[in-house]
Amino acid sequence: MKNVIEVKHLTKSYKQNKAVDDLSLAVKEGEILGLLGPNGSGKTTTMNCILSLLKYDAGDIKIFGKEMAPDAYDTKAKIGVVFQEVAVFDELTVYGNIDYFCGLYIEDKATRAQYVEDALKLVGLEENKNQYPKQLSGGLLRRLNIACGIAHKPKLIFLDEPTVAVDPQSRNNILEGIKKLRDDGATIIYTTHYMEEVEILCDRVIILDHGKIIAEGTNDELKALAKIEEKVTVEVAELSPKQLSGFEKIKNVDSVSYEEGALKVVFGKGKNNLAEMIEYLKANRINYSRIFAERPTLNDVFLELTGKELRD
Amino acid sequence: MTVSRAFWKIALKNIGTIILYTNMLVLFGTMNINSGSTTAQFEAAKPTVVVFNHDKEAGVTKGFLEYLNKNAEVSKDYADDDRLKDALFYEQVTLVIDIPEEYHQEFALGHDPELKMRSSAGYSAELAKVIVRRYLTAAKAYSTLGLNDNELASKVEKSLEKEIDVELKTKADTAKYSTATRYFSFANYSILACVITIICLIMMSFNRMEVRKRNLVSSIEISKMNRTLLKNCCIYSLGVWALFVIIGFFVLGFDVLWSIHGLLYIANTLIFAGCATTVAFLVSQFVTSQGAVSGMMNVIALGSSFLCGAFVPAEYLPGAVLGFAHIMPSYYFIDASNKIMALEDYSFASLLPILINMAIVLVFAIGFALITNYVSKKKQKIA
Repeated sequence: MKNVIEVKHLTKSYKQNKAVDDLSLAVKEGEILGLLGPNGSGKTTTMNCILSLLKYDAGDIKIFGKEMAPDAYDTKAKIGVVFQEVAVFDELTVYGNIDYFCGLYIEDKATRAQYVEDALKLVGLEENKNQYPKQLSGGLLRRLNIACGIAHKPKLIFLDEPTVAVDPQSRNNILEGIKKLRDDGATIIYTTHYMEEVEILCDRVIILDHGKIIAEGTNDELKALAKIEEKVTVEVAELSPKQLSGFEKIKNVDSVSYEEGALKVVFGKGKNNLAEMIEYLKANRINYSRIFAERPTLNDVFLELTGKELRD
Repeated sequence: MTVSRAFWKIALKNIGTIILYTNMLVLFGTMNINSGSTTAQFEAAKPTVVVFNHDKEAGVTKGFLEYLNKNAEVSKDYADDDRLKDALFYEQVTLVIDIPEEYHQEFALGHDPELKMRSSAGYSAELAKVIVRRYLTAAKAYSTLGLNDNELASKVEKSLEKEIDVELKTKADTAKYSTATRYFSFANYSILACVITIICLIMMSFNRMEVRKRNLVSSIEISKMNRTLLKNCCIYSLGVWALFVIIGFFVLGFDVLWSIHGLLYIANTLIFAGCATTVAFLVSQFVTSQGAVSGMMNVIALGSSFLCGAFVPAEYLPGAVLGFAHIMPSYYFIDASNKIMALEDYSFASLLPILINMAIVLVFAIGFALITNYVSKKKQKIA
C-alpha cells in the first residue's frame, strides 16, 4: 500500500518552545491513523503544519506524493478537515452550511446536491437540515461540523478531536460514520486524547508527547510495550496489612494497592492469574463482592513511557 | 459562486436592518422636508384701531372709515379714556384716531386738516399709521380732480386695491433643493448604518477563525475568495445607494433629481457610499461580535451624523463641533449637499467647491482602504 502522507523531520517552534520536534511519519492509503497524546503534545500543531495552515521551521511534507504548500490546490481538493472547534456559519441552515463548504470543492450543482444529501445521511442530520446551528444541541452541532468537512467525499480526512464534549449517542454516531468513511476508501488521520476511541477505530496509532513520537504501531503492538499483562480490581470491605502483603507473594504479581475498599493487583506476565488470585481469596477467607479484570490500555502504555497519564 | 451565494444569504438574513434604516430615512427625511418648507402666500396683518368720529359720515371721512373697516380691526369697546390708555400701553390697541368736526369739508377745500392720533409703541402702530397715511395721500391726490364723494371714494379704493407682485429673484432655487439637501444629509446616517452593519456582520462570519481555517484548507484560492467578498460588498453598497436614490425620486420628485442639481446629489451620494464601504471594511477588522458591530455602527453613523450636521443644520452647530467634524468624511459629504443646494450656475468655478468636497471624500476612502489593507496584513502575520 502506498503512502498518502509522508512527513520527514518536521520541526515547529513557538519562540523557545518546540511544539513539534523532528517528527517523521507516514500514513498508508486506506488506514485510520490515530494521533494520540495529552493536551499540548503537538497533535493539532502537526496537523496544521501538514495542512499548510502553519509555517514550520524545518521538514518535508508530501501528500499524495506532492509537496504540500498553501497554494497546492489540487492536493487540497482531495483533503477534508474536521476541526476541533465547530466551524460553521450561524446564519446558514444545516443544509446551507454543508452546501457552502461542499461548494468550495464541487462546482456542479447536481453533484453537490447529491453529496450534501449523502453527508446529511452519514451524520444523521436529515431531519435537521432546515434548522440553524443555534437550534442544534452540542452533539448535533459536532455532527454538522463533520458533515461540512467530509461532504465533498475527500480521499484524505483529518479529524481533530471530533467527539470533544459530545453525548454518548452522538459519539457512537460519529464513530460509526468514521468507520463508514474508511470503508468507502478514505484515509483518515484521527487526532484525539480519548484512548478508547483510538482502540475502537484506529488501525495504527502514533503516541505523541512534547512534539515527539514516543511510540508507534498497532493497538496490540503498543500494548505489548506495557510491562503488565493484566490488572485485577477486587471490591473488599476489610483487609489487614498481613493479608495485603500476602497478595504480593502470588505468582506474577507486580504490585498491590488497597484504597477505599478497592484492592488493585497488577500482574506483569503469565496466564490464569485471575484463577490463582480467587483461590488465594478463598484460602484466606477474604470476603469480596466483585472482581474486574482488565487488559492493559494505551493509557498504561503512555504511563509506562512517560510516567504520566494521558489526560494529565 | 458558492461564496457569493453565502454572502447574499447572510445579507438577506439581516434584511431587517436595511428595512429599518430605509424607513428611518423616508420618515425622518420627509419630516425634515415638511418642517423646512417655505410659505408662498402672505396675509396682511390687521392692526387694532379705535376711531372717535366727530365728523359726519360723508366725503373723504366716509371712504376713510370704510377703508379702515376693511384693512384694520376697528374696535368700539373703548369709550372710557383710562381703559384706552391701558389698551395702548399693553398694545391691545395700536392706534386711536380722532376725526374732528367738519373734517370732510375742510379736506374737500384742500385745507389739509389734521387727524389726532395716539399710538402704542411697536411695529403694529407703524403699520396702522401707514394704512391711514396711504388712504389720505391717495384721497388727496384724487381730490384735485373735482370728483363727487362717491367717485372719490371709488377711485381711491380701486387705487389702493392694486397689489404689487413681489418676486424674490435669486438664481438658486434653495427652497426647491433644500428638500433634497435634507434628504441626502439624513442619508449620511442611513447609508453608514446599512453599509457598516451588513458588511461587518458578513465579514465577521467569513473572518471567524474556525470558518477561515476551513476556507484556507479548501481548494478555492483565498485571494479569489477575498476578491469575491470585496466585489459583493461593493455590489451591496451600490444597491443601498441605488435604493436610496430611487426612493429619493419618489420622495423628492422626478423634477428635482432629474436635473443637474439632482445628478450632483446622486454622484455625491455614490462617492460617499463608496467611502462608507471602506469604513465598513476597516471596522470589520476589529469587531468580533454582533454587539460590537452594533456599537461601532452607532458610534460612527450617529456620531458623524450629529457632529457633521445630518440631523441638525450645520449653521446651528457650535464652531468647535464643526471644526472637529472636519476630520470626518460625512462633513464633506453634507457640506457638498449644502453647496449643491446653493449652486447658481454650472460653471467650473461654481462646481469646483463641490468637486473638491467629493475629492476629499474619495481621499478618505482611499485612506481607509490603505489602513484596512495594513491592518489585515498585520493580523495575518499574527495569526
